[in-house]
Amino acid sequence: MNAKIDFSKISFLIVDGDKISAQVVYDTLAYLGASHIQRVKSPNNAFDVLRTEKIDIVICEWRLRGMDGLEFLDVMRNSTNSPNRFIPVIMLTAHSEMRYVTTARDLGITEFLAKPFNAKALYSRLVSVIARPRRFINTGTYFGPDRRRRQVQFDGPDRRSLDE
Amino acid sequence: MTHYDWGSGAIVKPEEPKKKKNVQIIPAQTDLKRKAVNFIKGFDINLSPEQLEELEQVVQRSSETFVRDIGKDLMECRKLVINALRDKPKRPEAITAANDLAYSVKALGGTFQYPLMTQIAKSMEIFVADRTTANEKQLLVIQLHIDSLYVILAGRVTGFGSTVEQATVAALTKLTERYAEPRE
Repeated sequence: MNAKIDFSKISFLIVDGDKISAQVVYDTLAYLGASHIQRVKSPNNAFDVLRTEKIDIVICEWRLRGMDGLEFLDVMRNSTNSPNRFIPVIMLTAHSEMRYVTTARDLGITEFLAKPFNAKALYSRLVSVIARPRRFINTGTYFGPDRRRRQVQFDGPDRRSLDE
Repeated sequence: MTHYDWGSGAIVKPEEPKKKKNVQIIPAQTDLKRKAVNFIKGFDINLSPEQLEELEQVVQRSSETFVRDIGKDLMECRKLVINALRDKPKRPEAITAANDLAYSVKALGGTFQYPLMTQIAKSMEIFVADRTTANEKQLLVIQLHIDSLYVILAGRVTGFGSTVEQATVAALTKLTERYAEPRE
């Protein structure tokens, strides 16, 4: 028997100033059965929602007016005023170059989805966030999901177990 | 402190202080998994090709909105660029509009089967990046990009087009390189 995801149990917040892009994500989530989907255009509005409602997953565009998606993520993960430091954040962006991906990763992004995207790519990020949650790492310089997704042989010092 | 143990006759070194971990590892939050993953209701974690096809059709529902809205944005941006050619103080506004338009088209073109638009918008985005204004030739380069995008949209040229379209993309990219400076 295959494992399933009941999207009606999950609440989503879409933070995107682009009407069409937000609509595509909204339609996809609605089709999957999500009934609690909020849409806002700016991070400030997003914080208002996050402080008053129970949101499980944030889907955020990088390029936003005022505070951008990266600053929003930084506040979510590192500020004492954060409504929820552990909330999964999927970053949608047309900035798909490697330097953008690594910057977002190092600020604690949960999943990164490069635009233009298709339904399959969006679905796989949702599955990853819901069905394969990652542990969080807290160091002096990083707070966010474990960036070591693959277990590979490494001969160097284990920085997670000992002081340098 | 190192000392001599009279009982065993050995020199005893003190235990080294235990090195403490400098990383806190917090177990994964499993609330979402617990409340949403099950074997009865919802969508399979691994969707079948048919289910994926249906989901893709949901995405494509917004295709007409994309064509209509981006078409309108292209026309408005073209007007701003033409006005800016005549009127220098209007150039920063035209550049901001071109930058926003380039990002939107780059982001969504490929989603709606217009990857050629994404290619051209990317060329335009690189060209307008970090600019606050532009000279006449640079504005003309932007206008050429906008016109090309409009032609593709109006002709509903999906996919990457033929060799003619690819030659156009290459020519636009060359133009952007040639007129990249000054960047102010």
